[in-house]
This record gives sequence, C-alpha cells and structure tokens, in this order.
Amino acid sequence: MTSHVAVTAAKELRETLRDRRTLAVMVLLPLVVYPMMALLTTQVVATRELKREARPVEVAVSGQGPVADDLRRRIGEQPKVFRLNEQGQAADVHRGRLDALVVVHASEPHRRSVDVVYDAARDESRRAAERLDELLARALPAECLPIDVSKKNLASKDDIGGHLLSKVLPIAVVLMVLLGAFYPAIDVTAGERERGTLETVLSAPIGRFDLLLGKVLAVTAVASLTGLVNLGSISVTLIHAARLAASQVLLPVPWSRAAAAAIAVVPAAFLFAALFVAIGSIARGFKEAQNLLMPVYFLCVAPALIGAVGDYPLSGAAAWVPVMNVTLLVRDMVLGHATVSAALASVASTLLYGGLALALAARIYDSERLLHPEAAPRGADDDAGQGPVLDAPPTAGHALLMFAAGFVLLYFVFVPWQHRSLVVGLLASQWLGMVGLTVLLARATGRPLVAMVALRPPPARSLVGAALVGATAWGAVALLTDWLVPVPKEVVEQLRRAFVSDQHGRGLFVNLLLVALTPAVCEEMFFRGVVLRGLATRLPPLGAAVLTGVLFGLYHLDVWRLLPSTTLGVLLSLLALRSGSLVPAMVAHFLNNAVLVILATAKLDERFSNLGSGLTVAIFSTSIVLTTLGLWLVRRSAPQGGL
Amino acid sequence: MTTVVEPAVALDRIAKDYGSVPAVKGVSLTVARGEIYGLLGPNGAGKTTALRIVAGLLAPSRGRCAVAGIDVAQEPLQAKARIGFMSLSTGLYARLTAREFLAYFGRLHGMPPNLVERRTGELASALGLGRLLDRLCETFSTGEKQRVSLARTVLHDPLVLVLDEPTSGLDVLASRFLRDFVRSERARGKAVLFSTHYLAEAELLCDRVGLLFQGSLIREGTPVALRADAGASSLEEAFLTFVGAATP
Repeated sequence: MTSHVAVTAAKELRETLRDRRTLAVMVLLPLVVYPMMALLTTQVVATRELKREARPVEVAVSGQGPVADDLRRRIGEQPKVFRLNEQGQAADVHRGRLDALVVVHASEPHRRSVDVVYDAARDESRRAAERLDELLARALPAECLPIDVSKKNLASKDDIGGHLLSKVLPIAVVLMVLLGAFYPAIDVTAGERERGTLETVLSAPIGRFDLLLGKVLAVTAVASLTGLVNLGSISVTLIHAARLAASQVLLPVPWSRAAAAAIAVVPAAFLFAALFVAIGSIARGFKEAQNLLMPVYFLCVAPALIGAVGDYPLSGAAAWVPVMNVTLLVRDMVLGHATVSAALASVASTLLYGGLALALAARIYDSERLLHPEAAPRGADDDAGQGPVLDAPPTAGHALLMFAAGFVLLYFVFVPWQHRSLVVGLLASQWLGMVGLTVLLARATGRPLVAMVALRPPPARSLVGAALVGATAWGAVALLTDWLVPVPKEVVEQLRRAFVSDQHGRGLFVNLLLVALTPAVCEEMFFRGVVLRGLATRLPPLGAAVLTGVLFGLYHLDVWRLLPSTTLGVLLSLLALRSGSLVPAMVAHFLNNAVLVILATAKLDERFSNLGSGLTVAIFSTSIVLTTLGLWLVRRSAPQGGL
Repeated sequence: MTTVVEPAVALDRIAKDYGSVPAVKGVSLTVARGEIYGLLGPNGAGKTTALRIVAGLLAPSRGRCAVAGIDVAQEPLQAKARIGFMSLSTGLYARLTAREFLAYFGRLHGMPPNLVERRTGELASALGLGRLLDRLCETFSTGEKQRVSLARTVLHDPLVLVLDEPTSGLDVLASRFLRDFVRSERARGKAVLFSTHYLAEAELLCDRVGLLFQGSLIREGTPVALRADAGASSLEEAFLTFVGAATP
C-alpha cells in the first residue's frame, strides 16, 4: 500500500513539474512579480515620503503679547519645519489653506494657555499639530510659566470617519473589483473555449465586437457588484472596529461619502473586465488564463498601492494614471475633497483605458489563429517532443521564460553587483545576463543564434528610417515624460553621476561604449531578438510590440524611467517587426542612447524642463514628425514575412 | 425558358493553409436544396476545416465559398443567418436550461421572443425535448445534448444545415433518430452538408458523397455510383480503393 502511495505521489509530482505553466506561477510570481512590484512601489512612495517629510507645514499664530511673539519667533527660526503665515483663522485650517493655527489666549497671572487648532481629517494638519506640540513642549526658560496646550480639532465625525475609511477603502475597493472581474473574465473567455461553446456562438450571426462587449459588460456588472458590496461592508466594518478600539469615539458610518466613492467602482470594473477579457481571450484554457492573468493582477495592484499610500493629489497627470487614479478618486470621495474636474478626468480616463483594452480584445477575437490553435504559425506552440526547428523564432513560452530568467538574474545577481562596481556589474548584466541567456536558449533549442534573433542584413532604406527614429524620438519621449511623470531632480542627478560624470575618469567615448553601444547590442538581442520574436508568434504585431515595450520598461527597474523606456521599447519593437531584422532596432537604440549621453555630458538636458512653450512645441512636433517619417521609411522597405 | 436554380452551398476551389501546412487544397463542390451531401474522410483529411469555412468560422486562404449566393467571407453575418451549424462538441451552456439556451440563440438570430417560443414548442415535439426544456444543460446525457444542439441548429429555420460528425458518440437509437430528423429536413427543402467517418451511415443517408483525403476531394458522386466505379460491394470498400489509389 505504501508503495502505491509513493508511486502515485511520484507520478503526480512528475506531471506537475512538467506543467511549465504551473511552475511559472509557482516560481516566477515570487521571483519576478513581487520584487518588481515592491521595487516600483517603494521607489515612488519613498520619494514621495521624503518630499512630504521635508515640506514645511503652513501655520499661523493668532493673538498678541509676549507669548505670541515668542512663538512666532521660534516658529520663524525653523523654516524647514514651519512656514509662518502672517494671519490666519480657524476657517483657513478647515479649508486647507493653513495646516494648523495657534491661538494664544490673554495671559492670566498664573496661567498661560494656547489652543492648537487643526483638522484631524487631514494628514498634513495632523503633522502640523504634532510639530507644534513638540515646539510648545520644549523647555522654556525657568522663569517662564508653562503653557497649557489644548488641541481643538475642527473635523466633524463624518470627516474623521471619512479619513479613517480613506486609509483602507481605496486599495480594498480596487482589490475587490479586480477579484470580482478575475474569474468571470476567465469563465467567459477561456472557459467558453474549453467547454466548446465558443465555436457554436461564433457560428451565429453576431459580430465579434458585439459578442465581446456583451461579455465585458457582464463581467463589469459582476465586478461592480463585488466592489459595491465590499465598499459597504468594509465601511461598516472599519467604523465598528474604530468604535471597538476606542469606545468613547462614536463615529457614524459616513454613508454619503462611501456612496459617493461608488462613482469609481463601475469605471474600474469596466477597465479590469476589458483587460482581463482581452488577456483571457489569448488563453487556450482555464488554467492558462489563470496563469496569464495572475501577473497582470499584480501589475494592476502596483499603481493602486502607490495611489493608496503615496498621498498624491488627484490632479494633473495623476488623474490619468490608470488604476492609481481610481484609488485616488475613492480616497478623495470619502474624504469629501474631490473636485468635479478631477473626478471627471479620472472616470473618463479609466473608461478610455477600458475602451482601449476592449479594442485590443476585439482584435484578438478577430484573430483566427487564436480561435483555432491549429492555425497558429510555426513556433507558436511549445516544441516539446519535436526536433529542433532551424531558422525559427523562439516560442512565446521561451520569450516569457527568458524575460523571467533575465529579470531574476538582474534583480538578485547583477544589481547587487552593480552596487559594488557599477561598470563591471553593468557589463555583466548586459553580456552575461542578456547575450548569455540568448546564446543558452539557442544552444538548448538547437536554433542557430543569428537566425533565431533575426540578425540579418536589412534593406538600406530601413537603416535610414531607424537612424531617424533613433536620433529624434528622444525629444518627444523626454517631453512626454516631463509632462506626465516628471522625474525628480535628485533622480536625474543620480543617473548623470552614475553614467556620464567625468568624476570616474571615463571620457565620452567610453561612456558611449558603455551606455549606448552595449545596450544597443545586448538589449536588442534579448528583447527584440528573443522576447519580441517569441511573443509575436502568439500575439498580433502591435500587441507583441506593446507587451515587449512594457517588459523592456519594467526591466529597467526604475519607476521614473518606466514611461520613456517603455515608449522606446515599443518604437524599437516596431522597427524590428517592420524591417524584419534586428539591425535597425540596434542602430536606433544606439543613436537614442548616444544622443542622451551627449546631451547629459553637455548638461543640455537640464534645460529641457525650462524651455519656453514655443520651443517645447517645436521640439515635440519635429520629433514626432521625424520619428513617424522614420517608421514610414522602415515600413516601406519591409520585406514580406516580417520579423 | 429555363430557370437556373442557385445551389444552396457552393465551394469554388477553396484552400486553407495553417502556416505553411495546407489543410484543404482547392476543393470545389455544390449542395443543392433538398440534398444531403456527406463529406467523408479519415481523421485529418480536412473535413472540419472545410465545414468551418462554410460556416464562416474560418476564412479560406484561397477560393470562394457561397451560401445561397452570399459570399461567406465577404458577408459573414448574412451568410450565417442562413446556416445552422452543429460542431463536433455539442456546445451547450451548462448553466442554462435548454429553453434559455434556445432563447439566447433565437435572439442572436434576430427572432422575436414569441417566434422563439413557438419554434421551441415545435422542436420540442419534433425532437422529444418536452421534459428537457426546463432542465440545466449540464444534467443531460450525450443523446439529450445532441438533440438540444440539433434544436439550436434548426431553430431559425436555416436553408443550410452544416453538421460536423453529428452522430459521433451516439448510440444506435439516437443515431437513427438523428438521421430521421435530417431526412425530414431534406424533405422540407433544406440543404444538408455533413461530415462523418461512419461510411455505412453515409451510405444510408446521403444523396451524394465527397471523399476527402489529405485536403483534396478525390472522388464525388452518389454512393451507388462510387461503389460501381470502384467495383466494390460497400462504400467502405470503395473508399479504401480510392484512398489506396490516391496514396503516393
């Protein structure tokens, strides 16, 4: 009997370990997705927290006499901690114009007293009250009478309840809506294919977009309901928990605010439903869909987390950052701070992103090879059990496996190495981490390396186009980044010190070899040669280019460079796909990095954020036009068959 | 003056490649109204691919497919409205009742609810679905699933029935029931194109058959004519003769 158990366990284990998708979830989630999420979130939050701590709080002192004067003097002596306003009233604190107000009462013979007026529903105001507490508690000269400090909180119970909810509700709602969309989306896509009903429904006279929209709306409804039920439940639970924790505080559940927060639920549900349905459509079965969606789930959590803990205002670019804007809107709604314009921007952009995901899903649904796996071109399926395929691209499985392996090596080996020695670590990450893995893949699958990564001579015209893209795209990318996600100055300075500073004794030529030529060769072989070619066997060209761009952006492990790296990654992917060769992408990558190195060496990049609007528009437009021209030239020269 | 009657289904040199692998190679055939045409061939011969092209699920790599004169690739929705397609898997929604399932497809075909209800009643009588209508599809046996699927296929009264191995997995009684139903549809002027590798069944049912082998239509004709051509006593024997001759 024992032998039967052992034999069965061994057989099950063998089968499980041969299921590469299960292994991927088991190993890659903890090794790739969690570190990536943690890194990106921490970078944003840490930068934000540093800024917040460094920001002086706005305070005012009301009242006359020596105590008030003394307080003003002492506050004025700490300009990094306080910004002293000449005048102020309690109403200013309530409206957020002041963080706290010190009201000095007329002195009595044996008593001096002040009130610290603050708003407990605002973090800044709480911080101001704490800083004033410290200031007032500091030892006074012995001859002075102590000061009685009483704190006056202006926040209503509703405000405090809202503040309490704002700490948990935004992230909880997003998580619940994500969960609410997860399984229904799989069920209506991969589940339908697995049950064999997809073919039946597609034989009916219904447009694929209509079919898909119907599915997305159904998933949206379920996810919305999940979000709304959780919103109500969490609100009640939190307020009750607060009552239990401090029985003297009888907070009412701020129902009107919780209800207002519901405005964010339906758009978020639509976005997640469309995104999950789009990805679920690629999967051939329930299990594969789960494996594909799990990383996407976590990648959606990252911006939500940043929004929940980062204390960003819901305005400007933040209102357009997907998912993060949902958490910010929920937070502002429960706090009662949301403005109509910001709420509209957040809702509209979320719906817009949902629409884009829906369009992507419709494109995938239109793709015959995804409806009929036997229609997939060579290289699309795992080639287990087959002989080596000469001159074939890597599979999509290879692409994801290589990215994961590259990321794990980068995060756990090469980044620590770079901390010890930047140049050696960098070269190792490029030549060992990327080229090394690519060579290993070619060896392991019996593919000729040069053919596998499409390192073949391109048409001359495509080189001209690639040179145009490489030499000009940086302008639009830099301005777009500056507009949407401005990089903190200290981060820019850090990058400059690391890569182009002459303090290390490296000249321009060496910097070009290190920062332009090496990535142009190594990153292109790895990302365009392996990742893009592999993904393109399962995705439409644009989808493969976008996904490769995102992976390329994430690989840079820097949230501030995520947008420019991703954009560059997409452009380089398009160049490779359209030219049918890796060489144009290498040329463009080299030129792009070379221009940036030269600009940074000459410190011209510093002037970028201070350009006049006319010059900005001129640079942006020129860059867009020339980049488009470059892409067009490459397309015109494209051979049949693509990458 | 003679009237030219347009065939219900017309395949004109259709071909389908999966990557560099040809699945169907220049197949031409027609199916007239009131005719049952059987597409016969071994596994992998291209039968399902050919039927999917007729049903508008796959676009041909080359050639043209028309249903009632409508180009399926150019106007798929109009063509699909005239086709009832039954795939190899019955394709029922497990968590819907048979009535809900039929109502869903009726609405997709643009049928008003009262018409759906009336047709459901008619088909319940014809196919013996009375007890099944309000049960969840997941509770059905294989034969019951096939009958509900058949009801869905003919619900909108299509001109053309495309049936992909409809008797696969059915017992003798259920197979016979299905054949009788298909004959009754022929009597109503419907064109039936179906695939099978049960040659005896094809012999019993079909007016004409086409032998598909490695993506090519190697022979076409009535079962009697094909038997005579091969000098065989059964269609199965004739099939083996033709395949043997076509194998390089």
